Amino acid sequence: MKSNKGDLGLAVCVIALAAGYLALDLQLPEVRLSDPLGPRAFPALVGVGLIASALLLLLEARSKRKARPNTVARKAAAHVEAPPRVQPAVLIGMVIWAIVYYTCFEPVGYLISTTVFLFGLLSYFNRRRHLMNAIVAVSVALVFDLVFSQLLGVPMPTGLLSF
Amino acid sequence: MESLHGILHGLSIAATPTHLLYTLIGVFIGTMISHLPGIGPSAGIALLIPVTFGMDPTSALMMLTGIYYGCMYGGAVTAILLNTPGDAAAVMTVLDGYPLARKGRAAATLAIAATSSFIAGMIGVTLLSFVAAPLAAVALHFGPTEYFALICFALSTASALTGESLAKGMISVFLGLALATVGIDLQSGVPRFTMGFVELQDRVNFLVVVVGLFAISEVGRMVEGTLGGTLHTVRVEGKLWFSRDEWRRARPAALRGTFVGFLCGAAPGLGGTLASMLSYVLEKKISKHPEEFGHGAIEGVAAPEAATNADTCGAFVHLLALGVPGSGSTAVIMGAFIMYGIQPGPMLFHTQPDLVWGLIASMYIGNIMLLLLNLPLVGILSRILYVPPGVLLCLILVIASAGVYSFDSDVFDLYMALGFGVLGYTFRKLDIPKAPLLFGLILGHTLEQSFRQALTISNGDPTVFVRSPISAGLLVCACISIGASVWSRRQPPKAFQQLEEEVAERHLADERR
Repeated sequence: MKSNKGDLGLAVCVIALAAGYLALDLQLPEVRLSDPLGPRAFPALVGVGLIASALLLLLEARSKRKARPNTVARKAAAHVEAPPRVQPAVLIGMVIWAIVYYTCFEPVGYLISTTVFLFGLLSYFNRRRHLMNAIVAVSVALVFDLVFSQLLGVPMPTGLLSF
Repeated sequence: MESLHGILHGLSIAATPTHLLYTLIGVFIGTMISHLPGIGPSAGIALLIPVTFGMDPTSALMMLTGIYYGCMYGGAVTAILLNTPGDAAAVMTVLDGYPLARKGRAAATLAIAATSSFIAGMIGVTLLSFVAAPLAAVALHFGPTEYFALICFALSTASALTGESLAKGMISVFLGLALATVGIDLQSGVPRFTMGFVELQDRVNFLVVVVGLFAISEVGRMVEGTLGGTLHTVRVEGKLWFSRDEWRRARPAALRGTFVGFLCGAAPGLGGTLASMLSYVLEKKISKHPEEFGHGAIEGVAAPEAATNADTCGAFVHLLALGVPGSGSTAVIMGAFIMYGIQPGPMLFHTQPDLVWGLIASMYIGNIMLLLLNLPLVGILSRILYVPPGVLLCLILVIASAGVYSFDSDVFDLYMALGFGVLGYTFRKLDIPKAPLLFGLILGHTLEQSFRQALTISNGDPTVFVRSPISAGLLVCACISIGASVWSRRQPPKAFQQLEEEVAERHLADERR
């Protein structure tokens, strides 16, 4: 990911993002009441800055390709670029699990959704300790609910439970 | 003289039982957080900000600041025992701290690190007290033109000097500035880049960004560490107190590290990592036994630890006197100031003297508390290292989610935080520094307002930015910092190159072990 190819991809993404940002900026109304610039000028400068940064990244990548890295750094880079031991599926699964948790947060309620979310995660990362995981999941959800609702005065959603 | 009165006044405020309690809670939480590999001070402060809503701002800020320097204080523990820096700034401590621990001197090395941090903290706070107030007095004369130039300078150093690539630092800053433009424009009332979301009209929630970028994204890194099984811990053993010879060698190194660290902290955007690297290089250069460095030289622990802690005090100079953060963590603390309705900057010394001087004085008290906590309890506190990381990462996600939701009781913020978490993880994979984005987000609004006000006053004449000598000087400094960054990357100093090779070599050796 830290290779020249990664930098090239990053530069292209940033240019595309900046182009979208500038297109949205152009759609803003021109309002100049007491201010000679209006709401469009500053974002336009930011968009141009983003494109300039992406172009600079391309230049850096070019000069990096020409330069010969030292032996240790090259070995370390090769080591870093080795295939990751963690399957990306684990991280993607965690993101999806978090989205499910957030979707259930209000309709199901904080206590139930947090307990299920936490138990699910712990079952994967702290395997074969089901009883301990269940105790941790229930007690953490309960403690946080009490701390936020009673101590900090921020009631968490009750959802299916009536308390 | 004014500063001396200020410190005495501050001590009378910080020494009240409530403030003492919150300072103690802050430094204790900071120490605990620093023992958790992967969770740095920014994430720790961000996770705790929601808990402080509804509290008296002075107590809340004393606690959050305590977390910051508590984290920096304890960053050495994971570096020495786990061969993993607790925060980026402790990266140099790993080089000599871990070899010393493996030689059976773990406890003495931790004691040297704690004592050096204490010395640096006390001297650093004293320097902060005597530098911040006069600087704030000068900054009172700043208008929008000077503020625009000052923020440009801070952003240029943040983008030029953090990370390995100037372009990536700039991308991070400009993304932060772009995020700062989301929401209703205060001068014209026009909603900008809200994509039709009502939730974005009131600008992007700072807390959501910080929790996502610094806490949720780190969960991804911890997942890699947990499943990859790369953590090897050394137990705390040996005599706790260091020998007379070790102290004789460490003391001058700690003092030199303090001054290097404070100077680095006082330059916005340089950060603790550079401070610890500079102090390490300096020690190696002047040492009579440079060959010991990297194999367990006590100076290699004392100097970087002192530099890191003095750097935190230096970073507060800008925050309190100019309203410009000096590091990623002070940017998070600045966000907390703004959330409590307090604008940091030169006026703070006049409008909120109790808060400013109380906060500074609480740092003295917090440093003493940290020394008392860290020396006798280091063996007990280090047991946190043995908490299964799998459990820890799940808890971080739950704490982060509860904190983000409690801010506005809106699920939209949770999705946003998750999005920023994914962005933060991508940033790490692509080697893009995160702190400049935070700088851009937090300073973007003031930068735009100063820019527009300056041009309104000058009837749209852009030369206004170079007509003021202060503004012109700051813009020249901004250009110099970018130029220096380009030059140093083309021809990196030999000492830094060697150091980077040493760190890379150590990394390789550990991975093979």
